[in-house]
Amino acid sequence: MKNKILAGIIFVILSGILSAQDIVVPDLNGFKKITKYPVYIPENLWDFINGAADAYLALGFVDLHVAEYKKGKEVIKLEIYRHSDHTMAFGIYASERSPSYRFLNLGSQGYDAGGVINFFKGSFYVKIKTYSKKEKTLLAAESLALRVSDMLAGETDMPVLLSQFPGDGKKLNEETYINESVLGHQFLNKAFRAVYEVGTDNFSIYLMKFGSAQEAYKTAETYLKSTGIDGTESETGKFVLNDGYNGTVFLAWKEDRMVIISGLAGDQAEIADKYTSDILK
Amino acid sequence: MKRITRRGFLRTGLTGAGMIALSPAIVSAASSFQEKNIIYRTLGRTGIKVPVISFGVMRSDNPNLCKAAHEKGIRLFDTANGYLGGNSETMLGNLFKDYPRNSFVLATKVKPGTDREGKPNDQTTPERFLETFNISLSRLKMDYVDILYVHDVSNPEFLEYKPIINTVKQLKKDGKIKFMGFSTHRNEPVVIEAAASTGDWDVILTSYNFQQAYRKELDAAVKKAVASGIGIVAMKTLAGGFLDKERTKPVNASAALKWVLSNPDIHTTIPGMTSFDQLDLNAKILEDISLTEQESKDIIAAGAEPGLFCSGCRQCTASCPYNLPIPDLMRAYMYTYGYSSPAMAQTLLTELGTTDNPCSNCDVCKVQCSRNFLVKERITDVSRLVMVPTDFLT
Repeated sequence: MKNKILAGIIFVILSGILSAQDIVVPDLNGFKKITKYPVYIPENLWDFINGAADAYLALGFVDLHVAEYKKGKEVIKLEIYRHSDHTMAFGIYASERSPSYRFLNLGSQGYDAGGVINFFKGSFYVKIKTYSKKEKTLLAAESLALRVSDMLAGETDMPVLLSQFPGDGKKLNEETYINESVLGHQFLNKAFRAVYEVGTDNFSIYLMKFGSAQEAYKTAETYLKSTGIDGTESETGKFVLNDGYNGTVFLAWKEDRMVIISGLAGDQAEIADKYTSDILK
Repeated sequence: MKRITRRGFLRTGLTGAGMIALSPAIVSAASSFQEKNIIYRTLGRTGIKVPVISFGVMRSDNPNLCKAAHEKGIRLFDTANGYLGGNSETMLGNLFKDYPRNSFVLATKVKPGTDREGKPNDQTTPERFLETFNISLSRLKMDYVDILYVHDVSNPEFLEYKPIINTVKQLKKDGKIKFMGFSTHRNEPVVIEAAASTGDWDVILTSYNFQQAYRKELDAAVKKAVASGIGIVAMKTLAGGFLDKERTKPVNASAALKWVLSNPDIHTTIPGMTSFDQLDLNAKILEDISLTEQESKDIIAAGAEPGLFCSGCRQCTASCPYNLPIPDLMRAYMYTYGYSSPAMAQTLLTELGTTDNPCSNCDVCKVQCSRNFLVKERITDVSRLVMVPTDFLT
């Protein structure tokens, strides 16, 4: 038994090992740094952010480091969420942003929402918050954001697939990433979504990239079958279908990518065709 | 099936067929809804009759899911100021602005800001609470919310913190909220029991599931609260959704919900739903909460899984002759084996100041764990990390 236990410990020591110790939050001039928070992990994230934890867990949450900076009654709170990869970090960041915020060139992207500075970089999503209205404290929060961004390693670009969305009519800073149950369907996962406004038409485009063309086709086939359509071409296909819960949906796939457009009427195939052709060209 | 162009979209001749096959409720929502035998319970003194299944709205990417839930008869939609940076509230506001106001019940939550012990601190001010609430109201595009929860009350002292309590009461007087409540998922029995005595609270949102070790205390507190007129809403009903860290053993969701609803003091539940399949499953429970034989077996088996997560009931602490911080040591064990992070475990052990073999003086362990953890084995196992050089762990 002892050998087993020892072997277990050696195993975790050698294999573990995503150490939580590799994040050391920076100091902030004039502020006292308080780090007496536990490192939150999936099992206890609820203790810190309650029901909001679900969204984080669905996007590959790994751990959370928290620190507070105090100077008299002035408080700045820092939260560094680590997710499984850059796409997941974008996913959680994008789920909480609003296009009305003031966007910043920070990490891959960030924003300032008045006492709140959030950004993502690599697999990290960083949230900095102060309730203070004092300019000095707000500037200190900005300074902290820059220091944390410099400290964290990781990509500073946006996820590559986002660049494949056509620009015509695309609403800025409304792209999101949905890891599970796209359009509420358990068989549709891992999609980037962009929102469009073209004239009076508002619609969403979902873009998915699969591991292989076969996988893309299989997923398309599942979707089509769920609406009563059998018999498809395997390499590529374009369908307009009636999805019971989501209304008219345009579905297209080519090789390892799939595009779904929701929000257009059935007789707007030309618009759908223009956008899907552009993406899948 | 009609082909538009070779390169264009194929338009299926089955138009509508998929819709009928997938969702008859949408085709004839009104008539089919009236025919349903939805089970309602009265939410305490609020008098609101709520279906036993409500909707915990955690995502904002698909309002059609909420729309479909409403069409299936679900009435109470639960969100929070902090969910998705407010985008959950915004989505619900955009959706429900076109619905008759009395056709749904909207609950949201505002965090008052507390220290780690759940006590008010410098940041717990009425001004900040009101400012946050008004942001919620604006996002929801509503004149009032049906239930406002003070978010995350874990210390009974907070229930007596007049600056916030009086603020919420004033919101009720002003008609900006219909009913006042709070949510709790730590120290629940003590907090709920305390609330039952105050007469202030209309609704309590509490975690409630088959894995909680302090069931007797929680049930007693809930009963007392219900007797005093408080409505009870259950959350975290699936206990995380999986029985193991590897997420290979999913909880039987229907069984877990039905088990919760087998307590008549629980008036409704707010499972989070992200897919139409989940919605369909839960919609069946709207009409039938009886546990099948298999579901009963699944729940019993699930409840017996010790798992890795110490629920922190602290029943163990009194029975250890050396007063070891057992819940913390169980957490260190979880860090090591559940999370593959012995470094975190070692940090915790160092903070606790325990030795490399704190159980060495006891031949037989007298500690009884409510989760049936083999406490001595786990402590002996994980405490060895104290001797491992930190460099090996980082």
